[in-house]
Amino acid sequence: MNRWLRAALIAGATVAVGCFVWSSWLPNSQYAPVEVSFAVVGLSFMVAGIAAWQRWPASRLGLLFTIAGYLYLVPYILVNLANPAAWTIGNLSEGISGAALAHLGLAWPGGRLRSRFECGVVVANYVQNIAFNTAATMFWNPAFSGCNASCPANVLLIGNGSRPTLNTLDTTEALVGLVITGIVLTLIVRHWRSARGWSRRAMIPLLWIAPAVGAENILTGNLFHFSALVTYALLPLVLLAGPALFVISTVRARTAGGALGTAIVDLEPGAPPTRLRDALARALGDSTLQLAFRLPDGAGYLDTTGQVVDPARPGPGRAVTPVTEASGAVLVHDGGLEQEPQLIRLTAAAASMALEHTRLQAEVQAQLEQVRASRARIVEAGDAERRRLERDLHDGAQQRLVTLSLALGMARDRAAEADPELGSLIESASKEAREALTELRELARGIHPAVLTETGLTGAVQALVERSPVATTITAVPDGRFPAAIEATAYFVVSEALANVAKHARADGAQVMIRKFPGRLLVEVSDDGTGGARSEGGSGLRGLADRVASVGGVLRVDSPSGGGTRLEADIPCP
Amino acid sequence: MSVTARPAEPKARLRVVIAEDTVLLREGLRRVLTDAGLDVAGTAADADQLLKLVQALSPDVVLTDIRMPPDQTTEGLQAALEIRRQWPGTGVIVVSQHVETEHLFELLADDPRGIGYVLKERVADIAQFTDAIRRVAAGESVIDPQVVSRLVTRPRRNSPLETLTERELAVLALMAEGRSNQAIAEQLYMSPKTVETHVGNLFAKLGLLPAAQDHRRVLAVLTYLRR
Repeated sequence: MNRWLRAALIAGATVAVGCFVWSSWLPNSQYAPVEVSFAVVGLSFMVAGIAAWQRWPASRLGLLFTIAGYLYLVPYILVNLANPAAWTIGNLSEGISGAALAHLGLAWPGGRLRSRFECGVVVANYVQNIAFNTAATMFWNPAFSGCNASCPANVLLIGNGSRPTLNTLDTTEALVGLVITGIVLTLIVRHWRSARGWSRRAMIPLLWIAPAVGAENILTGNLFHFSALVTYALLPLVLLAGPALFVISTVRARTAGGALGTAIVDLEPGAPPTRLRDALARALGDSTLQLAFRLPDGAGYLDTTGQVVDPARPGPGRAVTPVTEASGAVLVHDGGLEQEPQLIRLTAAAASMALEHTRLQAEVQAQLEQVRASRARIVEAGDAERRRLERDLHDGAQQRLVTLSLALGMARDRAAEADPELGSLIESASKEAREALTELRELARGIHPAVLTETGLTGAVQALVERSPVATTITAVPDGRFPAAIEATAYFVVSEALANVAKHARADGAQVMIRKFPGRLLVEVSDDGTGGARSEGGSGLRGLADRVASVGGVLRVDSPSGGGTRLEADIPCP
Repeated sequence: MSVTARPAEPKARLRVVIAEDTVLLREGLRRVLTDAGLDVAGTAADADQLLKLVQALSPDVVLTDIRMPPDQTTEGLQAALEIRRQWPGTGVIVVSQHVETEHLFELLADDPRGIGYVLKERVADIAQFTDAIRRVAAGESVIDPQVVSRLVTRPRRNSPLETLTERELAVLALMAEGRSNQAIAEQLYMSPKTVETHVGNLFAKLGLLPAAQDHRRVLAVLTYLRR
């Protein structure tokens, strides 16, 4: 709605109310409460109409509200104009606002009447209203109300009018009104029963409001006789429920918009699409909401319950909104929601954000898994390479040196008697070979401890402890064998920790404890040295932490200054 | 090449079977041992062959490498344990490249009689090596001095070992190597009586029960040192 039309509507409403107040103004009138009541009801309908027009530009609800407002006030303005023609027209259209309200109720919440029958009911209602008004006017002599020359003339009056005919007409009109009210209320209840999702919830306030308005219509009709204050001032206030209908639905849409935000925030990262659908449906108040995804092969859509969805034919009363082009996801929702394009856009945006979040999460997770796996592979490849190197050294150089030693031994023994000088030369060569052998053995052991492959942690840790330059005791080592990568990691933790104890800790003693718990292996090396070890520094601890992380474990260092060092590797282990 | 003849042993020559997968070393050993007056009854290149030879030849002593085909891990050790089970009278020397004691203790189990654990570089000292074979054949235990010395010199805290005199430590090490009192006395140039006194003293200091038999003594001492 552009601002000129809005300005015109507001001006029109103001003028109408102004005219009403001006035309009916009588100083010190006993009718003052009645006038205030009429002005409030009429104005509220017109304001609701303008607002509804603004909110639902495509819907006729705004127009209906506005018309109801005008139809409520204009007849009284005309009657009060003291002009015969105006007075007559005013009388003809009096009470037609009731028919407009019935029209509004039947068109709620989409703004359109649902069937030809209902169109018929609405038209018949307008027609009977005008027909009875016309008939009644023809028999109404203004003199009946006690005013003579001061009253405007009744243009349609037949003769002097007839009170009995008038009374009969009034009673008939009230009875017809009762029937029509019944029909309208029944139709509204049927609308509610057949509605689903968003539309059904939109019908709920009407279920309360329609009977109240219907009752008002009947109570103010000619079957009942209350005091003028009740009939003309108090009961009409019930009609304020009409604009309240608009306020409630607006509040509901706003609340749903807010709830969407909360729903998305509360949705934990990486939640499955089913959870997203449930959260959106809950926030939106549309239990029929479906979140459907395009199948990878392009062969249609499936919703989160596995049901096939055809976005081209969403079914009666259903509508489709794409989430984003890229995601290939669509929302299939109650058609009534199309009246709230803002809300639908918000929902699609929320769904798109959540889906994108999940997708990114999955991507990052997958990348993380890849990096983890590749790190584990690199470490394993390194271990395998070390094993191979150690074996090559053992089978090659070491064996050759042993054979050389043996040959030198033989040569020495033979030379010793004939040529002692040569004998001692060979002896020194033999000694060199032995030392080379010892060095080579240490080198090979440093590259990869054969004892680890052969006997597992028990033997390997025992070997480490035996060669530790600091007095070290083993508190516990599990007997069984574990996957090679885990044994190697545990071994390197103990090895590196004991090397650190020897190098930095200035400790008198150290303890090694390896314990197996369900699902994990806990390796602990502690000493009574100076403490103060930091894994952040450039020490071997950083590399050790990486090594432990390569098998998905965690390295903890507890090393208060002066309080010894406790190194703990928590390694996942089947 | 002239072969230096060694005086023949008065009694029948010891029959030895060698298991070693490196051809050069295997043949070298055969030659050295033959030259040293031992009867190398057969040689094997892997553990299966070794077991078959032991079955067929009933040697006095078996000499086997720890690592052998097909897996190059501890096949020799497993074969040695099998031989101990099936033919308990056969002496077994395992030649190892491990200074660490894990394999040693697996081999000793609870009866160290007729068992030797010798580092591979020991083959360079032929006299010492053949002496080890003879001792094992005689039912003694032979533990490589280097392995023992590492155990003895390990750093310890609040250990009674710190209270031993140098002499007592030397006696302890020789006991751990599997030497008898007689041999210890000869090596340390002391009387057997003195050796006995030292043994008694150090057992008391370490809180070990005195063991009359040498093999029990070896086990007790090694176990103590390994703790």
